[in-house]
Amino acid sequence: MNNNILRAEHLSKTVSTSDHELTILDDVSFELNRGQSLAIVGPSGAGKSTLLGLLAGLDTPSKGKVWLGDSELTAMDEEGRAAVRAKMVGFVFQTFQLLSSLTALENVSLPMELAGDKHALDRANKYLLRVGLAERVNHYPKQLSGGEQQRVAIARAFACQPKILFADEPTGNLDQKTGLKVCDLLFELNEQSDATLVLVTHEQRLASRCDHMITIDDGKLVESSLTNSQQ
Amino acid sequence: MRTYLNRHLQVLFAAIGTFARTPFASLATILIIAITLVLPSILYITLKSGQQIAEGWQGRPQISIFIDTELGAQEAKLIFAELSLHPAIETAEFLTPQQALEEFTALSGMSYELDFLGENPLPASIVAMPDQENSESDSLQALKTELEKIEGIESIRLDLEWTDKFNSLLNTAERTTYLLFALLSAALFLIVGNTIKLLIMNRRDEIEVTKLVGGSNAFVRRPFLYYGFLFGVCGGVCALVLLYFSAIYISPALENLATLYQKETLVYQLNWHELLCIVAFGGALGWIAARLSVARHLRHIKPR
Ligand SMILES: Nc1ncnc2c1ncn2[C@@H]1O[C@H](COP(=O)(O)OP(=O)(O)OP(=O)(O)O)[C@@H](O)[C@H]1O
Ligand SMILES: [Mg+2]
Repeated sequence: MNNNILRAEHLSKTVSTSDHELTILDDVSFELNRGQSLAIVGPSGAGKSTLLGLLAGLDTPSKGKVWLGDSELTAMDEEGRAAVRAKMVGFVFQTFQLLSSLTALENVSLPMELAGDKHALDRANKYLLRVGLAERVNHYPKQLSGGEQQRVAIARAFACQPKILFADEPTGNLDQKTGLKVCDLLFELNEQSDATLVLVTHEQRLASRCDHMITIDDGKLVESSLTNSQQ
Repeated sequence: MRTYLNRHLQVLFAAIGTFARTPFASLATILIIAITLVLPSILYITLKSGQQIAEGWQGRPQISIFIDTELGAQEAKLIFAELSLHPAIETAEFLTPQQALEEFTALSGMSYELDFLGENPLPASIVAMPDQENSESDSLQALKTELEKIEGIESIRLDLEWTDKFNSLLNTAERTTYLLFALLSAALFLIVGNTIKLLIMNRRDEIEVTKLVGGSNAFVRRPFLYYGFLFGVCGGVCALVLLYFSAIYISPALENLATLYQKETLVYQLNWHELLCIVAFGGALGWIAARLSVARHLRHIKPR
């Protein structure tokens, strides 16, 4: 039993386009301790979202391994990775990723119901209250503003009390003021919950609020404040 | 267990809701399924009706033996006596030319024309019934060739000859029915599979997000299986309605035929067991088709 919540070992991702192989991610390794927060920064197209997808088990690497807690994601099939996500992972994405056919309340409770939580609805209500949307629980996403939708997504991410939270440019689609409020909320809930936060962002100001920072450029890890046993 | 049931019911109602939201597309699919089920069902009913008619004949093959008209009444009686004693023949009945004529006039109502002929053209005949062991087609045929050698017998007709023909016709019809069932089931598979594929494509975003927050394949798959099942069941029920109206349309013609055959009804009535079978068949096929379609198409949708 070690103190790592997240460990990446020689992660590479290549995709084959029509005429040649394209390397999106090239030999990335690092490890992150429980309860700490990590910012992944770098220019557009560097491979940040790709890396996040591999770390969260949404995608599989061409080479290398990923551990999330005690589970080796890269040794699991899609069902196994989905089960790990349901049990210990929360997501906040730039595009909110809410189900348009479900109300705010149903969106927040869905992952908990998937994980078999009997108090899903109670907890969903509680978290919607905490993000300031008590009045909007029965509204559908299209009835909510972008900032409100992102708050629903944040409530959904924290309500299932994840061990680790992945956020990919959570403020990317919001104006600066709203983005700032959403970010405050994200960090506040994160501190209260002892979850590990992995945040992809363009904004230096946001990145500096995290305990650690790694920089990706052209698929390579070019700068890291993390210790790395692999190198 | 209770929550498990609840969840299934929820998904089922959601599926019904989707039906209600796209009534025309759903109805079109359901109608196509119904027609696909009705065609072989009509053939099946025809087949069963034919078998019902055939059943009336089986088990009592008759041999009609016609005596040479040159023979006198005395010699004809002698042949009758000989046949009556034949070990393979259980009962035999002698018909004089006069009796044959009476029977014919009674059946045909053509007394006037026959009177006009002046002289009875019919031969004396013997109607014989073989015993149980000799009722099979083969042994009956052997008996026929044996009897034909007896002098004074003009010709022999086996009732079985056309029972056999009818039976082989039924056999062909039966095979055709099953073949049609198989072919149309395949068509049904494609129809339901394709409808499910379109539904999956329409809800791609939803599936991606559900997978993202940890929805298992079984969870994502479930509503689509319900769609397939519902499509199939509704198609089956629709097929029953169509069958009912088909029966109303056809039955006057068949009733006519029935009175000709002096039977109450010729049409085979599907029992509730078979009615249920049509609906269950639709449901099961829909479910399996959805399962195959889902297995093919959900795999390509990754969480995002
Ligand atoms: N499935 C794919 N097929 C081909 N190319 C891909 C695929 N997925 C990603 N890429 C490419 O890989 C590179 C990295 O993509 P990624 O989305 O990880 O960048 P990013 O760092 O998140 O950029 P941004 O900051 O703009 O979100 C891009 O050039 C992208 O076009
Ligand atoms: Mg990105």
